Amino acid sequence: MNIVLVGNPNVGKSVIFNALTGKYVTVSNYPGTTVEVAKGVGKFSGHTLSVIDTPGVNSLTAHSEDEKVTKDILSRSDISAIVQVADSKNMKRSLLLTLELMELNIPLVLNLNMSDEAKERGIKIDIKKLSEKLGIDVAETIAITGEGIPRLKEAILKARPARSFTAAVKAEDSKDAIALLNKRGKIADNLIKETMTTSRSLKRRVSEIIGRLTIRPLSGMPILFLVLTFMYLFVGKLAAGRGVDFFENILFGKYVNPAVAGLVDNFIHIGIIKEFLIGEYGIVTMAITYSLAIIFPIVTAFFLFFGVLEDSGYLPRLSILSDRIFKSIGLNGRAILPIILGLGCGTMATLTARILDTKKERILVTLLLTLAIPCSAQLGVIIGILGALSAKAAIIWLAAILFVMVVVGYTASRIIPGARSPFIQEIPPIRMPQISNIVTKTFARLKWYLKEAVPLFILGTIILFICDKTGVLRVIEYISRPVIVTLLGLPGKVTQVFILGFLRRDYGAAGLYALSKNGLIDGVQTVVSIVVITLFMPCIAQFFVTIKERGVKTACAIATFVFIFSFFFGGLLNFMLRYLIAHGVAAV
Amino acid sequence: MEHIQKIEEALSVVWEEREKGISGKDSLRASIIDKVKEDTLEDLAREGYITLNKDAVIFTRIGEIKAKDITRRQRLAERLLMDVLELSRKEMDSSACEFEHILSKEVEESICTLLAHPKECPHGLSIPPGDCCVKANGYLESIVVSVSKLNPGEAGKIVYVLTRGHPQLHKLMSLGVVPGTVITLHQVFPSFVIQVEETQLALEKELADEIYVKRLGRL
Repeated sequence: MNIVLVGNPNVGKSVIFNALTGKYVTVSNYPGTTVEVAKGVGKFSGHTLSVIDTPGVNSLTAHSEDEKVTKDILSRSDISAIVQVADSKNMKRSLLLTLELMELNIPLVLNLNMSDEAKERGIKIDIKKLSEKLGIDVAETIAITGEGIPRLKEAILKARPARSFTAAVKAEDSKDAIALLNKRGKIADNLIKETMTTSRSLKRRVSEIIGRLTIRPLSGMPILFLVLTFMYLFVGKLAAGRGVDFFENILFGKYVNPAVAGLVDNFIHIGIIKEFLIGEYGIVTMAITYSLAIIFPIVTAFFLFFGVLEDSGYLPRLSILSDRIFKSIGLNGRAILPIILGLGCGTMATLTARILDTKKERILVTLLLTLAIPCSAQLGVIIGILGALSAKAAIIWLAAILFVMVVVGYTASRIIPGARSPFIQEIPPIRMPQISNIVTKTFARLKWYLKEAVPLFILGTIILFICDKTGVLRVIEYISRPVIVTLLGLPGKVTQVFILGFLRRDYGAAGLYALSKNGLIDGVQTVVSIVVITLFMPCIAQFFVTIKERGVKTACAIATFVFIFSFFFGGLLNFMLRYLIAHGVAAV
Repeated sequence: MEHIQKIEEALSVVWEEREKGISGKDSLRASIIDKVKEDTLEDLAREGYITLNKDAVIFTRIGEIKAKDITRRQRLAERLLMDVLELSRKEMDSSACEFEHILSKEVEESICTLLAHPKECPHGLSIPPGDCCVKANGYLESIVVSVSKLNPGEAGKIVYVLTRGHPQLHKLMSLGVVPGTVITLHQVFPSFVIQVEETQLALEKELADEIYVKRLGRL
């Protein structure tokens, strides 16, 4: 028996899923958090049912990829019941979808979620009457507190098919489809008239006022600036500065590494194994130190901060402020969501590109994510390096990356065929983030980071170790001399950073962090190399997701372009900075 | 087709050709025959609508008014059939040419006001403005306007949504932007932000232009 959760975007399907199955899938306050289908098992008074969570849809006429995913699931034959999770304060939209789901002739339960928010707004719904009119069970819930979940489970067990008000038409006939939508609109209006009363509460909530301030340019831009500054202070200064300092110098520098070194010295007398563990390219001294001492504190801070932003409902608001800028590079404001998520994790963000409507937009966003958007771990390390260097270096880095984004985006939008879609974005209400959800979410992401990244770090170190021992490293350094030394003006040793960067960009950045800190590269060299590592290849995971989402051809084309372009642009920047310094204009 | 209808059709043909810059007698005669299956060019001249000046065809004063009138009704009818009744282009072309002959002046003005004094027919040809349009431009504001014409804070009840691009229309409708729904406009820059029930939607201007509402003022 399969139960499918369906509903409009951002109504809390994933919270209901978590409540029914006890499994955790990411929950946020913006439409499009779920882009992949999640499955779990739930216990319903003795019965065990499998539950499927789906991406939010407004109708079953599939226009974007995430809508297709949901539509495909609903056309499977092994579904025993659909649970429509609905936002109680948006009954018309909800009922439009209910009426469409009823046409499928599958047992249906209507779950009116967020009933607390509806009550706050003075909306009263006569559940019994609505259930009678629709001929299906209607269950109210407040999913985040778990209220109403037992009653919902009961309703799911006795779900029955509804007699439909309207007959489905073939979607190809768009005129009929529109007429049908109009008809559903009228039925929904009547249902609302008969079962819902609204007493407008006159007091405007504080959250509403904050919400409005964030989307007006005059107040919105300063708020954005504050948010970014706070992020720089929290992630770049506090976590990457003090946090890393504590982990790297005190915890690892004074205790872990000497202790491991002592153990190794005492018990292992074979030189090569010793080196493999604690040498220059040792598992402990390099892989574990980089991943746990440098990157771990930084991503923890970033995930916490990001979780608060996600749950507050702030992120989609940025689409309003950025719409006009994105239009100049062939996208619209909706693209801000995958781009910002890319600052969390490029791999996840590449999946989120599905919420965009046209193929062209998805390719453009994937390209920008591969090229110019650093992921949280990498960004944190970069902020850490820049924080130690100078504000001027930070500005040069930021200006270079933004410049690349606009120029490449503008050029690519003229080369890639297709059109941009019109800008329509739902803006979720501003909510007070729940600490419990942020903690759960951060833990889930950290677990994922440790599982995904640390093994790759170890693999990268092993590769470097073998290359070093066999002399291959010197051969690679020699071959890439013209690029690394002549074009970029970097010491040959930096080559190993780019080898690490193939596996994960943050690993490469962590290598730069170590080099810069030990004074092995100067200011200009640091700026040039972090610009190159920012633009450089996506990590392996992101590359595989790009293949899966955009196809091998597009993924390879993007990767080749990015590879060549990052070195070309790095060389250009190197010569420009050197030229400026030689003429006494600037020093980094 | 009755004689009066044929005359009206022929007049609209002459008007349309003039918009394209064609006034030659022979090509006009050919176009009229093509449309009404009869050569009525001489009838138009005899009834005082046009004068035949050597090779060129020129409207008389009453001819000009009559032709403008019939063209206006024809194109308004097309807009009505296409936007509100959602007929396809093909169905529309066959219905509209019957429809315009029975429109009275009052009905014509109501349709024009309902449609917010449209400037173009679905084929992209301009609709000659009537008295109601001039008034609406001068001092009277139309009751039905596009969302982009509302003032921030103002509410409106959706009357219809233009059907130019089906995918985005469908998207708007499934978000609850359907005829009969009351919306409130919150802000117009950098994007339009409207409230539908308890959902806030950000839209670009091009879409706000396509949603027509009946003004309700500040709620």
